[in-house]
Amino acid sequence: MNPAFRAALPFFALSATIVVIMLLIAVRRDHRLIATVTVTGLLASLALIAVASPVAPLAVTSMFLVDPFALFFLALVLLSTIAVVLLSYTYLEGTGDGPYDEYYLLLLIATLGAAALLASVQFASFFLGLETLSIALIGLIAYPRSRDRAVEAGLKYLLLAGVSSAFLLFGIALIYFEFGTLSFAALGRLWNAAPGAADLYADTGFAMLLTGIGFKLSVVPFHMWAPDIYEGAPAPVTGYVAAVSKIAVFGLLLRYFVLMGGYRDPSLLRVIALVAILSMLVGNLLALLQNNVKRILAFSSIAHLGYVLVALLAGSMIGFDAAAYYLAAYAVMTIGAFGVVTLVSQPSDGQDTDQLDSYRGLMWTRPWLAGAFTAFLLSLAGIPPTMGFIAKVYVMTSGVGNLLVWPLAALVVGSVIGLYYYLRIIVMLFLPAPGVTIPCVTTRLSWAGGVTLGALLVLLVVLGAYPTPLISAAHVATTGLAMFNNNIHTAANASPP
Amino acid sequence: MNITFYLAATIAVLATVMVITRANGVHALLYLVVSLLAIALVFYSLGAPFAAALEVIVYAGAIMVLFVFVVMMLNLGEIAAVREAQWMAPRIWIGPSILSLILTAQLAYMLVSNEIGNTGRAVVDARAVGLALYGPYLLCVELASMLLLAALVGAYRLAETGRSGVIKGGH
Repeated sequence: MNPAFRAALPFFALSATIVVIMLLIAVRRDHRLIATVTVTGLLASLALIAVASPVAPLAVTSMFLVDPFALFFLALVLLSTIAVVLLSYTYLEGTGDGPYDEYYLLLLIATLGAAALLASVQFASFFLGLETLSIALIGLIAYPRSRDRAVEAGLKYLLLAGVSSAFLLFGIALIYFEFGTLSFAALGRLWNAAPGAADLYADTGFAMLLTGIGFKLSVVPFHMWAPDIYEGAPAPVTGYVAAVSKIAVFGLLLRYFVLMGGYRDPSLLRVIALVAILSMLVGNLLALLQNNVKRILAFSSIAHLGYVLVALLAGSMIGFDAAAYYLAAYAVMTIGAFGVVTLVSQPSDGQDTDQLDSYRGLMWTRPWLAGAFTAFLLSLAGIPPTMGFIAKVYVMTSGVGNLLVWPLAALVVGSVIGLYYYLRIIVMLFLPAPGVTIPCVTTRLSWAGGVTLGALLVLLVVLGAYPTPLISAAHVATTGLAMFNNNIHTAANASPP
Repeated sequence: MNITFYLAATIAVLATVMVITRANGVHALLYLVVSLLAIALVFYSLGAPFAAALEVIVYAGAIMVLFVFVVMMLNLGEIAAVREAQWMAPRIWIGPSILSLILTAQLAYMLVSNEIGNTGRAVVDARAVGLALYGPYLLCVELASMLLLAALVGAYRLAETGRSGVIKGGH
């Protein structure tokens, strides 16, 4: 088999699933069948990662690089998508706003966009992957059309995606104008060749590129959209936006930053440090003021992206490992938390159960769900023995090793503030139930949703108590990246001043 | 000389400012067409005649179709006739017409003086674009097809009418 074809197999499997689902929709609309085919396709793509990994790292055309880094994050994205599909199935039926089949089509296209982002080593494929992800997300966010809030959130995301794409494109155009290349690695070489020269076009280009990426990651000061869209979107889609789209964009940012040699530019690092500090402080402080669980989780995700940026700033081997582990933990906790919101909600109500008051006494009416929610929230707060704790310790370690004093101080302060609002939700769960018995007491947990939540819970605790397998997998994934980074460093040091 | 480039670029910016400041959607569309034509001329002066042609065919062409649809579907009956008579007033069409005339003169000048690619960049013709798209950029073309599919499915979902024939989202 052609090695390039073999390396691209996981991506082809995703694309093939999209085509198969389109044909299925044309022949017969059957929600259960289409959901099954979606999960099968995602599992097939996951299995093909094992086929692709022996030939990695391998460049598939000059646009994509299939390396352990891309494959690790691809596996993370695929697993998260499977969890979202399983959570969505019963939820969608509950909305009664069919047909449901296009939902899976959009979800798979968004995942393909995320996969393309993770393997991109060039601006053209980066932009196309990002657009594929964003455009599919607009359809997903506004999918329950009978909900005005969802349609409104979709429109907001459309405008925001347009604005951030405009920034990105202008930034890419300026960089191309200055360096005449679209490849990250070639850009890194050319930029290294001209050290110290402050160039207006290049700096503006880098700044606009970071602005566009900042919008997608919803880090402060580009965060204002996140709470509204998280609130309006249906809960499983919110989980997807919070986890998968951010993992994909962060993976790309990490690769871009290493390949273009960003660690040699102190001013670029200072800007990212400022963004990280602001995200951790502002995200956590604004979460204090909210009474809506989805909005609280939105601000919490802003803060979490700030934590991961600290790992990116560290720029060492341990920093990359910490970022990879943190994103895996973040995926489990976020999808878990939004999974609980999905399962607590009655989709036929026309909106999700997201008011803090409606969680009052959940522990006494639906103990399993409330217990799971408690675990996910504790993990988000960084309490042992969960993945969130290990992840935060890992990020701290990487930051201490590189003397990032201010970001670390912000991380500590942010975590302490965060503890308050996570505990506020948990206290609400344990308060005595209101006098009126909640009608949803008799609601049975959906089979798919229950299994998904259980699996996430097991992962949360097992990988929190025994993180070695995940850490070694993350280490394999980031080794190539770290080697590249070190080569740049040594090359820069070796060159005469 | 770069003067053709700067002139076309200025017209593009001017026309776009007019697009976003017009209260009437149809008037804005007129300026939008001019803006797209000006961008096509920018491409042409930069040495990308194929991109210029695509800009005219895809954007200006598609926008024109949209324009016709807006007029046809939203304005039916007596009121439409009156409104259309108002559109014939010179103050509506004089602005876009002048800008278009300048663009036409510029295009004629560039064709006569054979000044393609006058900004010093290499000329990229249709053959080069095709070779790039079906060579190194093949996977990107495929990805773009998925991007368009997502847009199509999303738009279909949002615009789809329910079984009763009523648009569900609208109240």
